[in-house]
Amino acid sequence: MGMSAATTAAEGIKFCIFDLRRGQQEGQELDKILFFFPADLPFSAQLSVIGLSEGLITFTRIFSPEAACEVIEAERHSHVFYEAEPDIWMVMVVEKNESEAIWRIDALRKVLKEVHSLFLMFHGSIRTMIEKEPAGGLIRSHLYPFIMDYLSDFLLGKKLQLPSFRDCLKERGTVQMLTVSREAAIEVQSLVRVLESFAGNTQFYSLILFQDLLVSTTLSPVDTINLFTYAVLRLTPRALSSGVSSWSYLRKGSTTSNVATGSILAQSASVSEQNFRSRDTSPPGGDNSHHIARPLQPDRWSKGKDGFLVTDIWGAEASSSTSATPTIWLQQTEERVYVCAYQYRSLTLILLVPVASILGEQGVSAVKQQILENVSFLPVFTEFFFPLLNPSVYSCPKQFGALIATLTYRSCCSLMIK
Amino acid sequence: MSGKASSSQSSIGLSRSSALSHVYIQYPPLRCNVPGSRGLFYDDGNKLILSPTSDQVFSWKTVPFSPLVAPTSDSISEGPILSIRCSLDEKFIAIQRSNHEVQFRHRETGETFSQRCRPESESILGFFWTDCPLCDIVFVKTSGLDLFVYNSELKSLQLVETRKLIVSWYVYTHESRLVLLASGMQCKTFNGFQLSSAGVIRLPRFDMAMAKSEANSKPVLAAEDINIVTVYGRIYCLQVDRVAMLLHSYRFYRDAVIQQGSLPIYSSRIAVSVVDNVVLVHQNDAKVVILYDIYADSRAPISAPLPLLLRGFPRFNTSVSQSSREDSGSSGANVVPDNEAVIYGDDWTFLVPEFICDVANRLLWKIHLDLEAISASSSEVPSVLEFLQRRKLEANKAKQLCLAIARTVILERSPVPMVARAMDVLVTSYSHSVKTGSYLKGIKSEKTSPSSVPHVSSPRSGADVSASRVDSLEKSVKHASAAAAGVDNEYASDSEENPSSEPPTTNLSDLQIFDGNNPLNANGSEQQEAQLTSPAISPEEMYSFVFAPVEEEIVGDPSYLVAIIVEFLHSANSEKVKVHPNLYVLTIQLLVRNERYAELGLFVINKIVEPSKEVALQLLESGRQNFQTRKLGLDMLRQLSLHHDYVLFLVQDGYYLEALRYARKYKVNNVRPSLFLEAAFASNDSQHLAAILRFFSDFIPGFQNTSDHNTYYRILNEMNSSIAA
Repeated sequence: MGMSAATTAAEGIKFCIFDLRRGQQEGQELDKILFFFPADLPFSAQLSVIGLSEGLITFTRIFSPEAACEVIEAERHSHVFYEAEPDIWMVMVVEKNESEAIWRIDALRKVLKEVHSLFLMFHGSIRTMIEKEPAGGLIRSHLYPFIMDYLSDFLLGKKLQLPSFRDCLKERGTVQMLTVSREAAIEVQSLVRVLESFAGNTQFYSLILFQDLLVSTTLSPVDTINLFTYAVLRLTPRALSSGVSSWSYLRKGSTTSNVATGSILAQSASVSEQNFRSRDTSPPGGDNSHHIARPLQPDRWSKGKDGFLVTDIWGAEASSSTSATPTIWLQQTEERVYVCAYQYRSLTLILLVPVASILGEQGVSAVKQQILENVSFLPVFTEFFFPLLNPSVYSCPKQFGALIATLTYRSCCSLMIK
Repeated sequence: MSGKASSSQSSIGLSRSSALSHVYIQYPPLRCNVPGSRGLFYDDGNKLILSPTSDQVFSWKTVPFSPLVAPTSDSISEGPILSIRCSLDEKFIAIQRSNHEVQFRHRETGETFSQRCRPESESILGFFWTDCPLCDIVFVKTSGLDLFVYNSELKSLQLVETRKLIVSWYVYTHESRLVLLASGMQCKTFNGFQLSSAGVIRLPRFDMAMAKSEANSKPVLAAEDINIVTVYGRIYCLQVDRVAMLLHSYRFYRDAVIQQGSLPIYSSRIAVSVVDNVVLVHQNDAKVVILYDIYADSRAPISAPLPLLLRGFPRFNTSVSQSSREDSGSSGANVVPDNEAVIYGDDWTFLVPEFICDVANRLLWKIHLDLEAISASSSEVPSVLEFLQRRKLEANKAKQLCLAIARTVILERSPVPMVARAMDVLVTSYSHSVKTGSYLKGIKSEKTSPSSVPHVSSPRSGADVSASRVDSLEKSVKHASAAAAGVDNEYASDSEENPSSEPPTTNLSDLQIFDGNNPLNANGSEQQEAQLTSPAISPEEMYSFVFAPVEEEIVGDPSYLVAIIVEFLHSANSEKVKVHPNLYVLTIQLLVRNERYAELGLFVINKIVEPSKEVALQLLESGRQNFQTRKLGLDMLRQLSLHHDYVLFLVQDGYYLEALRYARKYKVNNVRPSLFLEAAFASNDSQHLAAILRFFSDFIPGFQNTSDHNTYYRILNEMNSSIAA
């Protein structure tokens, strides 16, 4: 049954999300499936993967009711489990190869966690979306493009190159901080406080990155990680310019092949979208016509003339030609916030404005205006970091010593991996 | 904005209603009335008011100014008196008797002698005493300057030098030691000399600007149109141009005179006073005064033209205007119940720098600035603070006003960038005053006179901390003053040209005023000894009088206050001013109140909050709800090598074995063994208890004989036996 999948781009990898509360009656098993990759796998094959997973989960619960099972090692495959939300499981089945068998499991679980966290940030929880439309069309139509966009970053040639065991040592689920001097730190804080003081009685949040490194955040740790992850994937200058994510140093050279292979995923995506739609029980013209934002779609962000990053991912405002401002959910405070990203050279400043606190797009543009008025000193400000742009400048002041050490360490790491 | 002004005024507890005036004279004046007086003379060298009668001269000291000061009298011989001045050592009285003769009288011995000039070719325009090393007294004649030395043996004057010049009239102020000699048809060509204790400096000849009224009539400049003004240690000349209705200003450098721009005037009669380095231009006809602070480049007045106010005048004629007595007092021209209350009367003479002499009534008024009113009239908080920080005369009042303004802008949640600029003004001013040493002077005098000490008590830490800060501050100031040795005027480094440090790059070095043993300044410093000399606000005071009170009062989200503190740290950091740990403690408390632990971590890791024991203890305290924060506190203790505290907190957190290892490594010997033993006993682990007993037996001599050992040894045995059973 699994043989048919061998011809797809994602050789040996299966990735599914299912809901144990659905399709518990015979004949309705397909209802469980919220997402399946590869999508062109016959339903019978999909169901067998899910059935096996469900069986394993139920079986292992007998012995460990508190901590659910995380991984099952079969002879040729590893099954990685992650219970993203109660009764909603993400399972990844990967083919084993001889060298790096067990160790990469941790890295894979982090991938599952990350994709779910990002989904939460942009669309809210899966359960909420299911409850909104119990037929499941809504969640499927959101999950599919989202995860496919996410996976597109792992494309290497025609294959999905999932993180190796070495990758579990670094990056995913963490943030990389820029080590700054006290002067620079105070300067940054001063900027942050001034920007946040526009908020008046409500609370604005901000995140500042220098290249791919975090400089400052006022978000909670969990939201910081999510937004940082997204920024490094899609917003930082490197992400903007290369058109490919700076995910891993492994994938740096893959820019050219990515363009070609992107279409393969896209093709399979279109096939599967039809699959999902054909299964969709909602009335025609309902959710299908609804615009679904694809925040992870590559190459959709660009830097505007005024320095703000713009995208049409969230569609255009009906009233004007400008793009709608993206919004995300903060997990900590459970509020929806507008994302205003401003970029000056290597510095990316993300200001998060609670949707409830301002009046729509007009309010956003007012906030942007205030940002512009106050970032006038950014040129001076970024000088603090600038000696770093040119690695040959080693005569820079002492306070950058630590930073250079960090960078050197990082580049050593990347060399090691190569 | 007026609401803010009034609130800042009320918050420092001023009872006075806001009278529409920025400058006032205080009733009662100094009454220089003696029977048979033949006029009043002002001796600006000694700051004396002199009133001669037919055979006596009475003199009143004007510094320190007191309406009750009693005159001293000297007998003099009969004769006409054109002018009268005492020598700087006050041993002689010199009286100009005519255009050709000046008479000298020794005050103690009564000996007299006279100095005359050739009556046919020249006449004496005036004279002044000087502390110039070259001479003692200078005669200004139509033919130039004569410099004389007093010879005590011959009991006469000896001519040491003559400067040949044609002089129409002259202007001299002792304050600037500068004499300007007018010549030419229009009297607008000037020669200038500065005769200071550093020697004689001749200024290059220069012309003053005069607008022409009509084609053929050329206005002539008069002596009363020229005002020599000394502000911030710089010397300016303000010249009235009656045709253009402008007040031209010139600044004097050692080898140049440069016109600095003009101020508009609104009256044909103008007088200029200087109070605490603020230039007051009295528009006599309009009966208003306009204030200028010629420190910055701006020529804009500090505030709107307002009348001079007579304060505290007892009004007997209550029927006229009972309701607003101050109001009628300021516009006293309408209602004149008493001729003493005439403001800008025709008989007013303005004396350098800050006195008004009512010649007709024989009264002397001293002009005061109303700092509250000035600061209340402007909404530009940073510039008001800058203005207040430059005030020396009423430093304590200026300081209190600054503190009140700082509190108000924060409590009103003014925009952060504006408050940031205000903080920057205060910090920069403090840093500057520490460098010049004026802040230290203030501190010292504060110590000597407990009555005027602003109560520096911080709720969180003892006064000993601030005392030690002052000590270190003194040291740093000593460094600074050593570097700036040789500059006796603290303003000298104020000037933007910075004449002392880099003379080759610019030839525009300021004319300076060398105090020498000038009685004026001696008196002045005596007077100031009792009070603050600088309104600068130290970071400790910022904490005690601004941040701590504001923290108690401010309502709502404390993150605004955090933003302000960050701006304060920003300024302090760029000025290299050390911040008191209390402020960091407050910052931590505010962040914790909002549960912004992640940001707190950033603050600590990036050393925005500088490590100190107080900070570490606060982190430990705040970390009761947040483990990461507590860890930061523990780490800070360890980094600061506060081993004893570190060990105690480790034990408190239950890591008693780690604490023991650490204590052993860093030789912390003064921790009580019972602490460890109690902790181990509480954990109910007999092995740990045994290990600790063993540790102390091994490393503390004589431990086995202590009661602790006996007690816990018994307990250990009981534990073991209970296990065995």
